[in-house]
Amino acid sequence: MAKLIKIRELKIDIPQEAVRLAEQMLKDLEASKRPVLEAVKCSLDNSFYNAKVGYLTPGDKSVRTELNVSSVQKLARVVFVLEILLRNLDIGAVNTKRELYYIAKGLIKGNSQLKPLDFEDQDESDSIIDFIGDMLRVYREELNCYANDRGGQTYSQQLIVTETLPDGEKAIVDLGSLGTTPFQPKNRPQSLKLKARKKIDFCLVVESEGTAGTLATMGFTKRNNCILMGAQGVPSNGVRGWCKLIEDQLGVPMYFFGDLDAYTLQNIFRTLKAGSAASLIRNGDFSAPDVKFLGVLPEDVKKYDLHCYKVKESDPAEARALKKAKDALENDPFFQDKKNKKLADILRWLVKEKLRCEQQSFFSVDPRDPLKTEKIILEKIRGNAYV
Amino acid sequence: MNKITKSSTAEYFAKNLQQVGFSSPTKAVLTTLKEAVDNSLDACEGVGILPFLEIIIEKVGPGSSKNSDLVRIVVEDNGPGIEPEDLSRVFGEYLASSKFGRGQCTRGQQGIGISAATTWAQLTNAKGVMVISKTKKMRKAVSGIVEVDIRSNSGVLKSKETIEWDKESGVHVEFLIDGRVQLNGDGGLLTYLEGSVLVNPHLELKYKLLDNEPVFIQRVSGTIPEVPSPTLPHPHTMKLGEFIAHAHLYGRITLEKFLKTGFSRVADQTLKDVVSHGLPKSLLDKSLTSFKEDDFKTIFAAIQKTEMMSPSTKSVLTVGEEALSKSIMRLGQVDFFSVMTRKPTICDFKPVSVEVALARFLDRGDADNPVQVLRFANRVPLQFDKAACAITRAIETVNWKNYGLNQPKDSIPLGPYVFAVSVVSPFIKFKNASKETIDSSDELVEEIRRALMQAGQKLSRHIRKEEKEADLERKLAHIEQFGPILVDGLVRIVGASKERKFRAAEGLRKLLGRDSSEAMKELEVAEGRLAAQKKKDAHLHSSRDEEKLSLEE
Repeated sequence: MAKLIKIRELKIDIPQEAVRLAEQMLKDLEASKRPVLEAVKCSLDNSFYNAKVGYLTPGDKSVRTELNVSSVQKLARVVFVLEILLRNLDIGAVNTKRELYYIAKGLIKGNSQLKPLDFEDQDESDSIIDFIGDMLRVYREELNCYANDRGGQTYSQQLIVTETLPDGEKAIVDLGSLGTTPFQPKNRPQSLKLKARKKIDFCLVVESEGTAGTLATMGFTKRNNCILMGAQGVPSNGVRGWCKLIEDQLGVPMYFFGDLDAYTLQNIFRTLKAGSAASLIRNGDFSAPDVKFLGVLPEDVKKYDLHCYKVKESDPAEARALKKAKDALENDPFFQDKKNKKLADILRWLVKEKLRCEQQSFFSVDPRDPLKTEKIILEKIRGNAYV
Repeated sequence: MNKITKSSTAEYFAKNLQQVGFSSPTKAVLTTLKEAVDNSLDACEGVGILPFLEIIIEKVGPGSSKNSDLVRIVVEDNGPGIEPEDLSRVFGEYLASSKFGRGQCTRGQQGIGISAATTWAQLTNAKGVMVISKTKKMRKAVSGIVEVDIRSNSGVLKSKETIEWDKESGVHVEFLIDGRVQLNGDGGLLTYLEGSVLVNPHLELKYKLLDNEPVFIQRVSGTIPEVPSPTLPHPHTMKLGEFIAHAHLYGRITLEKFLKTGFSRVADQTLKDVVSHGLPKSLLDKSLTSFKEDDFKTIFAAIQKTEMMSPSTKSVLTVGEEALSKSIMRLGQVDFFSVMTRKPTICDFKPVSVEVALARFLDRGDADNPVQVLRFANRVPLQFDKAACAITRAIETVNWKNYGLNQPKDSIPLGPYVFAVSVVSPFIKFKNASKETIDSSDELVEEIRRALMQAGQKLSRHIRKEEKEADLERKLAHIEQFGPILVDGLVRIVGASKERKFRAAEGLRKLLGRDSSEAMKELEVAEGRLAAQKKKDAHLHSSRDEEKLSLEE
C-alpha cells in the first residue's frame, strides 16, 4: 500500500520509538524494577498560552504510570493496543477509534488469555489510544487512527482543492462547480493543496452548519469572493486542520460568526483559535490563531436590538456553562493573556449580564429582507466590528 | 342562627378515627394490633413482669365495607390483668388513662388508642372488643364484650361471665374488624413485629399471621426495663395558663414553697436570680391563693427571663447497647452491626435519649435499594409518613460515604442494612395524634445525627476491613491475570528470547508480590482496628454489668 501523506515532519520514527519503550520496560522487569510510562499531561493546569504562536502549548507536567498492582491492567492494555497500532503502521492500514475498539474486542474474543483486558465500552479503549499518542508525543493521525469526518462544510466560487490520494494520484475539486453542494474536508487536510481562482477577500466560519447552508443558498458566495464554512459546533480535528490550512496557504482573513454565549466563546471559538487543553501536543497543527470573533458581540445586541435570553441558572447545563466561564476567567491562560483581553471582556459581560444571544437572532432584525443577515455580516467586516 | 351543640369526646373520635391511625383498612389492622401490644407491654413493665405475648391475625370472611376483609386480631399477654370494674373504662372510654401527662416514657400516653380500636370494631362490625382478664387475686377470669357508648364517652361491659382460665394473670383481647392485612413493607405487620422485637429485648413473642407458620421469638434479656419515675416539671417548659393551673393544684402555700416544691431545678439561688429579673421579693412570702392574674403574669415573666439549669435527664430510659446487640440478631442473619446509645441529653428543653443500631444482613435487602429504616418513639415502631420524620431527616443529612456506604445525594443510603433509630423521651413531640412522625426540630435532628455518625464510625471499621479484603483479592487476581499478558506483549514487540521472557515474568511477580504484601499489611491493620473496637465494646459492657451488680448489692 502507498504511504500516507505526512501531517508534519516527525522527529521520531514511531515504530522504533515504540520498540525502544518496550525494550526499556522489559529490561526493568528483568531487573525487578518498576517500569514507568510517561505522557504529557493534557489538562488546563499544564496549558500555556503562547501569544507569539497563538495557541495552547504544554508545560512540563506529565502523567507517570508506574507499574504496580493497580496499574498493571492499564499497562497491559497500553502494550496490547500499541501492538495493534504498530501493525497498522506496518501494513499501512487506517482505522477510526471505534474500529480499533472492535478490532481489540475481536482479538480478545479469539484468545481466552486476553479476556481480562476486555473493554467495557469505547471510552476505555479511546483513553488508551490517547495515552499512547501523548506518551509518544505524536498525533493520533500519525498512528493511522482517524476520527469520523464532522463539520467543515465549505462553499466557495473561487477555491480549488487538489487532494493527493493514498495511491499518489491527484484529485482536483473545483468548489465553484459544486452548485449548492458543500465540499467537506477529510480529517487529514494536510493532504490538500489550495488555490484561489480569484483573490479571496475573507473566510467566514459559521458556528451553525444550517446557517452556513442558508447563507450559501441565498447567494452569499456568489456575491462575495469568499470561503463560507459551517463549523457544526465544537470544531473537530478536521475543521481545525482545515482552517489552519486555509490560513497558511491562502493567508485570507478569517472570521468566526456564532452565538454570544459562554459555551461558544470557550468551547467553540477558543478551540478553533488556540486549540484545547485535551489536545496540547497537536494544537500547533490544529488551530487557526488568526481567526477573529465577528460576533454576535455585546454591542451588536444593542445596535441591532437583538433578541436575547436570560441564562436560566435553574437549568443545570446553563448553570454549568456560567460556572465554567467564571473558572475560565480565573484559570484559562488563553483568556488571561492580555492579547485576548477583549475576548475575556465579552466573557465577563456574559457572566455579569447573565444573557445569551443566538447567531440566528440577526434574522429577526428585518424579517422582510432575506439578505439582512448577510448585510450585517459584511457591514461588520467592513467596519472592523470584530474582536 | 343554628343551635350550638356539644359533642362527647367519643363522638369526636368516632367521626375522626383517621386522626388516630384508622385512615384505611390496612392501617386499621396495624393500629389495632399496635394499641393492644403497647398496652400489654406497658402493663407488664409497670409491675415488673417479663412479657410473653401471643398474637393471632387471620381473615375470617368478607368485610362489611367494600374491598375489605373481616379480620380477627387476638393479643394475649401474661401481664397483671385488669380489674373487672376497670375493663369498660380501659377499652371503652376515651382519655381514661393511667399515664396521661405523667411525664414518663411509657408507650401509651393519652388513653385514646385502644378505645379507638374498639370504636372501629363497633363501626365496621357492630361489635366491640371481646376481653378476658384475670388478676393474681382472682380465682376465675372475667370475660365480656366492651363497647363504647359514643354519646356519653363511657365504656359498657356486656355479656359478662366468669370463666376458668389456666393463666395466673393476663389479658386476652379479640377484635373483629373490617381491614386489610399487609405483612411486609413500611406499613406491614411483620415490620411492626420485628421492630417491637428489636427494641424490647425482654419480650418473648409467639405469632401466627394468616396462613403462615407460627413463629416463636425468644427473649434475649431477662432484665425488665424500669421506666424511670417522672421528674417535676421545669418552669421553662410551661406556658402561662399551665403555670397558673399548676399553681391552683398547690392551694394555700407561699410562692417560694410552690416554686421550690412544684418544679425541678428551682433552688434558693434560682429564686434570687428570678428576683433580680423583676420578681418583687415581697411576693415570695405571699400565699398563692392571694395572687391575681396580673401577679401570675409578673411571676411568670420573671421566671422566663431567668437562666436556669436544664431539666434533668433522669426520666428517660434506654435499651442499652448490649441488649440492642443481642436483640438485633433476632431479625435475621446479621453479617455485622454496630450500636450506639447516647447519653440522655436535652433537646428543645426536654430530656431525650437516642439509640441507634446499624446492621448489615445476609438474608434481607440488597445493594441497590435504600437501607430499611426502623423508627421508634418510646420503643413504639413508627411506620408511616417517614419523609417528614426527624429520624429520616437526620439519616439523610449524614454523609454515609465517609463510612463506606453508597448514598445518593441527600437521600437514605443504599445497601442490605437495617438502620434502627430509637428516640425515647417523656415528652416526644409528634406531628399528629396517631403518633407516626416525630417533629423534626433542629436540636433533635442534630442529636440523632450524632448518634448515627458515632454508630457509622463503628460500622465503617467492618466495612473498611471488608474493602481491604476485596482489595487484596483484586490485587492478587490482577497479578495472575495481567502479568502474563503484559510480558507476552512486550516480548512480541521487542522480539525477545524465551529466557528474557522468563526473567521478566519472574521480576514482575516479585514486584507485584511486594504490592500484595502491602495490601495484606493494610488488611491486618484494618482487622486490628476492628478487634480493638470489639474489645472496647466488650469491656464497656462488662464494666456496666459490674456497676449494675454492685448497685443491686
